[in-house]
Amino acid sequence: MITAQRVDFIAVPARNRALLAEFYEDTLGLERSPTSTESWIEFETGNVTLAIVEPRDAGVEFAPLPFGTIALRVPDVEAAKSKLTAAGVAFAGETWDSGVCNGAAFTDPDGNGIVIHHRYKPYLDGRSPDEQV
Amino acid sequence: MIYVERVDYIRVPVTDIEQAKHFYGEVLGLEQNTKLRHDDWIEFEAGNVTLAVMTPHTHDYEFTPLPPGTIALRVADVAAAKAKLEAAGVQVNDMWDSGVCHGAGFRDPAGNPILLHHRYAPYEQSGSDPESFASTGHAPVSDTGATRQGSVG
Repeated sequence: MITAQRVDFIAVPARNRALLAEFYEDTLGLERSPTSTESWIEFETGNVTLAIVEPRDAGVEFAPLPFGTIALRVPDVEAAKSKLTAAGVAFAGETWDSGVCNGAAFTDPDGNGIVIHHRYKPYLDGRSPDEQV
Repeated sequence: MIYVERVDYIRVPVTDIEQAKHFYGEVLGLEQNTKLRHDDWIEFEAGNVTLAVMTPHTHDYEFTPLPPGTIALRVADVAAAKAKLEAAGVQVNDMWDSGVCHGAGFRDPAGNPILLHHRYAPYEQSGSDPESFASTGHAPVSDTGATRQGSVG
């Protein structure tokens, strides 16, 4: 058994790094890491780094993240969905209510599966999900 | 523009939940989130973010593995972790050295590629030790993530 300390980054594959980075910065409103370079662009989400990568740099064929891979926590799923829809983002299906959370799935301009997500129900131990922010 | 508070989870699609439970819990040594009670969606805490291991075929869509190198797991020593995984029967690719970090890729039983990762070089701008940064292996970021635990939903 190994000891994994944390997740250093999640790689988000891009067909064109600069173009996809604009979406994460301007539409999703994520903070671009100030040390990003032309060849390595990172965004901070509060707890984990998203790195926009071009698979062809590594000689790998582009393949997008599957459905719903990255769940972005937002205060209000419907409000965020409205804003994204107004910005031209197409959602896959309706907003769901699992009984503990709301979610809505979309793909970024390169087809990566993203979810906007908000848990409203306290955890089994009674803690509020909002306490973790 | 929307307001994103954090990443609640990263979905890791698998085909066999029991096999994945063993791999992520007993081979990778991640802590399973016991706040959940689902048969087809289990969660593991990876320090700063939750990995939601789930079966697409019970969620009305087809399994597709994550693309190469999606998840970079920070370990203290890539070579040592590679040796331990190999002893456990996991095939791990050759370790590479980017000049600032080490990495070695492997696949979980469902075929999802995962990267063992460790940055050893100080950051250029600050000269700081990478161990002092909570998040990325490649660039300095705020260390607020270190106090934030994973989440379920």
